[in-house]
Amino acid sequence: MDALERLAERSDTGFRNLIEARARTERKLIEVRDRLGEMPHDPDACVSLFGSWGRRELTQNSDDDWAVLVDGDRRDRVQPEPQRISEVLGADGPAPGTQGVFGATVFCDDLVERIGLDADDNSNLTRRMLLLLESVAVLNGEARDHCRDRVLAGYLDYSIKDYRPPRFFLNDLIRYWRTICVDFVGKEREGEGEKWALRNLKLGTSRKVLFAGGLLPILLCHRYRAADFEPFLRDSLERPSIDRIAWAFLELGAADAGIRAIGAYDRFIGLLGDPSARDELVRLSREEAQGSEVFELGRRLGREVERGLLALLFDTGIEPLVREYGIF
Amino acid sequence: MKQSRGDWGHLVEAASRVSSFAAELAALSENELPSLLDFLGTEPALPFSYLSVHAPSKSRRDSEGEMVAGLERLPIIVDAIVVHPDRIQDVDLYRALGARLVIENMDARKLAGMSGAELEPLFEALPDAGFCFDIAHAWTVDPTMEVGEDLLDRFASRLRHVHLSSISGDGLNHETLSREHEQLFGPLLSRCRDVPWILEAEPPRR
Repeated sequence: MDALERLAERSDTGFRNLIEARARTERKLIEVRDRLGEMPHDPDACVSLFGSWGRRELTQNSDDDWAVLVDGDRRDRVQPEPQRISEVLGADGPAPGTQGVFGATVFCDDLVERIGLDADDNSNLTRRMLLLLESVAVLNGEARDHCRDRVLAGYLDYSIKDYRPPRFFLNDLIRYWRTICVDFVGKEREGEGEKWALRNLKLGTSRKVLFAGGLLPILLCHRYRAADFEPFLRDSLERPSIDRIAWAFLELGAADAGIRAIGAYDRFIGLLGDPSARDELVRLSREEAQGSEVFELGRRLGREVERGLLALLFDTGIEPLVREYGIF
Repeated sequence: MKQSRGDWGHLVEAASRVSSFAAELAALSENELPSLLDFLGTEPALPFSYLSVHAPSKSRRDSEGEMVAGLERLPIIVDAIVVHPDRIQDVDLYRALGARLVIENMDARKLAGMSGAELEPLFEALPDAGFCFDIAHAWTVDPTMEVGEDLLDRFASRLRHVHLSSISGDGLNHETLSREHEQLFGPLLSRCRDVPWILEAEPPRR
């Protein structure tokens, strides 16, 4: 039984929406893998899905954010070509996310070697973080796993110390989270204010789950010798973010707060799955959102998620680590 | 605060001196609700990130339907509307309050709504409603705090906020949290670390 189910057993209402979304994702993954199964591909190329697929939180309107990931030399032609994938993924629904982060061929070398400085642009940072935090392979999973291991190993270099969270990884994760927050405003200022309400609510819920789902295992490396960081992180990051968080609530003796935080997140997933609520959130501008009951409900749920996570981070045994490593 | 009842601007200022995080504006008498609606209708700048309103629980003149309709008009900035379960007669009326409805456990003087078993049917009928845990009320029902523990076990997922105080010997008034109660309530309060705590009396000076 996974941590989410263990926590759900202690809740009087359970996490019905999350459990259903997880089952829906697993069904869809089987379908997609079947459809891609026969597609010719280079031995070092895989197809990976990100976002709600990686979180196992598919709703009816989730985006198909995918990339062809190459765990080998940079070259002009890679099989499968993105065009072939787009005939299978996103053909009937929303296209991959904007800014060209997804729906393209990505070379793992860039994710491993371009960390920090100018060459590490937003797209590269996003792809690297999402590969580690919320991705799932649908074609040639072996190549995806190897690529993920290379990226992880890149963070766990000579600088790591026994019983100290790996700072390089931690700093990059925090940078990513803050980048998401800053870019939310940046997009709005550039006139990309569409779906403002939906994007705002996701920032306060699923993006926070993404961040916390990385932050917790990184901080909890303090329990291990440096040599054990990699297996611990690999095992942890292979689980969906919400499972990592549920596990931390149980492990750190804050089950009540966990029931409420994940319960609120569960209701938010339910809200996204409600076609009329989602349509309203997609339509609302910043100004219109202020009078919307649906938006207000989503905002309250986001605050409940945040309060639970803050209690976990600041009112349990992990607090000294947050204090020592989380700010400076 | 009794002397300031109905002076909402003054009450907000006094509450924000204790905490700018959360507050509860109590319209305990029905005749206080219209002035609270007027006050909130002016869209005052409030520092709180969590705002609760306590629904009238005494001096009721209007019908239950009229009172609930008044509560429904509370603006969107109000996160929670606390209702006493012993005042609920027509459960269906309260569905209109949706997830903002928060039901509080009662003290030993009341006829209903004191224990988990008594509150359970109400929550079944109002699945979106939240729970306000009045820890001093639970103590009046059972000083061993087992009733309080059971309330948190049963309604963990619904808990929205805590009412925190001691209670006078005659059970009539909320008083500043005593040291004895602080110690006694500690284990249950530690299960509520993530939700706002509303002080129902002056904060302890220690």
